[in-house]
Amino acid sequence: MGQVHQRVPLIDGAEKVGGKLQYLADMTMPGMVHGALVLSPRPHARVVSLNAAAALALPGVIGVWWHETVPQLRYNSSIWYVGQVALNDEAMFAPVVRHVGDRVAVVVARTAAIACAAARAITVEYADLPAILTADAAAANPGSVGEGEAPAFCNPIDHVKFVHGNPDAAFAAADLVVETLVSTPRSHHCAVEPHACLAYPEKGGRIAIVSPCQSVFAVQAVVAQATGIAEADLHVMKSPIGGSFGGKAEPVLDPICAFLAATLGLPVRIVLSRRETFVATRTRSAMQGRMRIAMSRSGRIMARDTVALVDVGAYSTGGNYLPGSMLQRLVRLYDVPAERYDGRAVYTNTVPSGAFRGYGSPQIHALAEISLDLAARELGIDPVTIRARNLVAPDAIEPWQGLSIGNGRGLDCLSRGAAMFDWQARWARRRDTGRFRRGIGVAAATHINGCYPGEEEATSVRMRLLPGGMVELVSALHDLGCGSDTTLAQIAAEVLGLKAHQIGITPADSDLCPYDLGTRASRMTYIVGEAVRRTALALAGEIRVRAALALNEDPGRVRLEHGLARSEEGEMSLAALADWMIGRGQTLPAASETYRASGNPSSFAAHFAEVEVDTFTGRVAVTDYLAAHDVGLAINPMLVEGQIHGGIQIGIGYALYEDVAIDPETGQMRADSFARYTLANALEMPPLKVLLVEEGEPSGPFGAKAVGEIATVPVAPAIVNAVNHALNTRLSDLPLLPERILAAL
Amino acid sequence: MNMLTVARPRSLDAISALMSDGRPLHFIAGGTDMLIAGRLRPKDGILVDLGQVAELSGISVVGQHIRIGAATTVARLAEDPVLAARLPALSQAAAECGAVQIRNRATIGGNIAEAAPAADLLPPLWVADARLEIRDHDGSRLVAIADYIASPGRLITAILLPDPDPAPKSGFAKLGSRRELTISKLNLAMLMRQEGGRIVDLRIVAGAIGPRPQRLKLAEAALGGRFLSPKALQLFAKALSDEVDTAIPTRSSRVWKRRAIVGLGYDVIAAMTGHSPRHPLFAGAA
Ligand SMILES: Cc1cc2nc3c(=O)[nH]c(=O)nc-3n(C[C@H](O)[C@H](O)[C@H](O)COP(=O)(O)OP(=O)(O)OC[C@H]3O[C@@H](n4cnc5c(N)ncnc54)[C@H](O)[C@@H]3O)c2cc1C
Repeated sequence: MGQVHQRVPLIDGAEKVGGKLQYLADMTMPGMVHGALVLSPRPHARVVSLNAAAALALPGVIGVWWHETVPQLRYNSSIWYVGQVALNDEAMFAPVVRHVGDRVAVVVARTAAIACAAARAITVEYADLPAILTADAAAANPGSVGEGEAPAFCNPIDHVKFVHGNPDAAFAAADLVVETLVSTPRSHHCAVEPHACLAYPEKGGRIAIVSPCQSVFAVQAVVAQATGIAEADLHVMKSPIGGSFGGKAEPVLDPICAFLAATLGLPVRIVLSRRETFVATRTRSAMQGRMRIAMSRSGRIMARDTVALVDVGAYSTGGNYLPGSMLQRLVRLYDVPAERYDGRAVYTNTVPSGAFRGYGSPQIHALAEISLDLAARELGIDPVTIRARNLVAPDAIEPWQGLSIGNGRGLDCLSRGAAMFDWQARWARRRDTGRFRRGIGVAAATHINGCYPGEEEATSVRMRLLPGGMVELVSALHDLGCGSDTTLAQIAAEVLGLKAHQIGITPADSDLCPYDLGTRASRMTYIVGEAVRRTALALAGEIRVRAALALNEDPGRVRLEHGLARSEEGEMSLAALADWMIGRGQTLPAASETYRASGNPSSFAAHFAEVEVDTFTGRVAVTDYLAAHDVGLAINPMLVEGQIHGGIQIGIGYALYEDVAIDPETGQMRADSFARYTLANALEMPPLKVLLVEEGEPSGPFGAKAVGEIATVPVAPAIVNAVNHALNTRLSDLPLLPERILAAL
Repeated sequence: MNMLTVARPRSLDAISALMSDGRPLHFIAGGTDMLIAGRLRPKDGILVDLGQVAELSGISVVGQHIRIGAATTVARLAEDPVLAARLPALSQAAAECGAVQIRNRATIGGNIAEAAPAADLLPPLWVADARLEIRDHDGSRLVAIADYIASPGRLITAILLPDPDPAPKSGFAKLGSRRELTISKLNLAMLMRQEGGRIVDLRIVAGAIGPRPQRLKLAEAALGGRFLSPKALQLFAKALSDEVDTAIPTRSSRVWKRRAIVGLGYDVIAAMTGHSPRHPLFAGAA
């Protein structure tokens, strides 16, 4: 009892801090061999020849594979079910490399060190092809971007246009029109654990894949497509994961490991180095945006006209969803009578983009929230007031998909957050004029809960009572370190009168679990949590019926609490009930449910930042921070706060430091190590306050909705707005490097 | 026989013996520069671990000098009370090197021998006119830090700092992409005395605006001999910016560094004179 809304420690926390949890790089198997990749130093080139003689001569080297010796099956790493239609443009190793860091070959050897040495001993002859290294260049040259089969490698890969209301009339009637250009950088996930995968032959000619992934079924679908191995012959298991943030949503190594394991009949493991993780996996797409806002004198947004150009890099992955996703989030925040949106995604010869916490949201919110602040300044209206005048009300219908935003509490986040931050008094403070200048900024944000209506947004859960009184929960669960397993266990335990640690959770295994979309799209708590709650209710019903028999009582009068089945007549533990049933040869109570979502409510947030800018050095210190979040209800306030703290850390980096910095002339990544890629570390973190708005979402489990992705969405614009407030500037190119700040003064 | 062997001598004499052995010597102290991934490692000769030689470690006052063993860790420098009183610029630079884990291993000798353009300990050692005690197969001698050139087999055994009484004022500031665990894009050390309020014997050295630390004589001249006043500081600021223009005329970072150096200069002066950098004295922008 009392498991929901409690600060329950992570159910795998002790194992983690005790160093007992085995991550993929800790796992070994008898006879296991190691792969190392050869990566392209060129942004766009034909691989003419490959000389592996020196590599093969090294003792311990087993073999080398490249495009001439692997199946040339094109695939898309972002698909999440077998048969999903997508732009199939990627191959394990292709005859043409399309970015610095693209895969050229793999060496397999007895040890990882030998494999790395052998990879370095391989010489490759390239014939350079013209490279497109910036989104501008890509946009200026629509059409084919080099050899490859249409529709792949044609720009733009997606173009979403949307008009709502009458923007032209609204712009003509506006009291003020403000235009702002915003660019956001290509950032990297920087999970502590680099990408890794292990594959090995299993009984019956099948291949097992152990992978720190976000969906075992996505791995199955992608590997099947890339290797030609039937998906039924692929058994995928999720390993513990040392951080993903979306970076491991798309299988990168899995097809190669599976292919090699099948070819060699041996366990094959590949663990990337830090540099390889930077240059050869995924990033957050860079965006260039332009927003024109038509305002009334009173601070109402009359219309917006948005143009967004997204650089998805060398392979489509899921990049063609980005313009639409960005639009989906853009139109859920404010009540805007007229909207025009033009979003394009283009290929360039740069590292591919992919899922990353927020999936387009940080980009589009940076554009919209920085633009709105600059418009507010011209109107002389306080940034909080202007947001209060435009935020959507609960149960509003958004104009793009026509969905209700549910019990969305953006306004509560804003007004309660502003009060707690003491916004008015701080805003009224006289502007600093000396070397150090303080400023405050606010940004609002919204995010979705799950994939409805875009996909079959459903999930299945099985639960059963085990001998001993524990309850087993089986679903395709992928805890990425955020604590989703703990949250789901709390939900199940609440219904069953147990404690979270009495719920046994099996990590996702494609042989054991019913299909699920995976950990993505802020769907774990809201969608899977509701599926778990419903299954737990069904199981509770079963248990009560059995307990009623055992207690000689009416099932309606049996309660489940404190690990007991109780009635006026007596009580028994679930363990005793299980024993009682086993003694009678009965099957233990079990239940399974499939829950299909019928809506997609919004989560909301308002973030408040105070910064101090050193106008001599250009250094920005974030000195105070408050995050107000509409989470419906926090199943576990401690984990919710943890998600928000981490979101702020990523957001500070996005605002101030992070950029993989691809050289527009050479295509080389300049920041491909932690020495060059600056993350916000502990010293840069401000004191953090979290305010939870818990007004309940009727369709969510116990009223809960998502927080994982939205936590990072408003951070960068809040900080940029604070810097612009401090300096009276219009800075809008992220990150705000000291050079950029000084140039604006 | 072309192989790298490892020696863990326990005394300077043992190192001298190795020096006459004839094989190439490679010294390793904290290993924080030498062992990082991607660096070329020596393939033959003797890798000499300096970590076991007690004589190479520690800080002592010897006559008119402070003597710092070359294998003294950066963490020791940062917490040493004598240094904090006599050459705070060096304590501050040590405290801002890397992060705790790095400071616990990194040594002052390694920082000097590695001689990275951004090395944080070098500007303080330059302003203090440090001399290095060097030993090689030809014997031992003293070399001014500005004249030191690293070369294989040449061991720094100690750093000697002049220790005048009263001690001069000194300070250090650096600028990287964040506050801690960051390589300097610019660093600055200053040393001076005050005579009746006048700034005298001023020495200023900047790092990361050239392959080696740069003595900023224009800036020294702008402030030297003057009282601390807004006017003097303005001249000083201009001179600092001019120094950057001269040092890196064509680099894209020039525009930023020519202004940032003023921030560092003001920070150091403020610290040396017991002011806050927010004091109105420093408000006048460059
Ligand atoms: C993460 C990280 C952060 C860092 N941050 C900073 C920073 O903020 N500021 C900074 O200045 N540096 C920084 N460094 C660089 C490094 O820590 C310093 O240069 C350190 O002082 C090197 O000392 P060491 O003892 O580790 O040198 P080692 O790696 O042991 O040696 C470096 C070189 O010096 C030679 N050497 C060592 N001792 C002697 C000696 N007594 N006589 C002659 N030659 C010698 C070695 O042969 C080698 O060539 C950082 C390094 C890392 C990995």
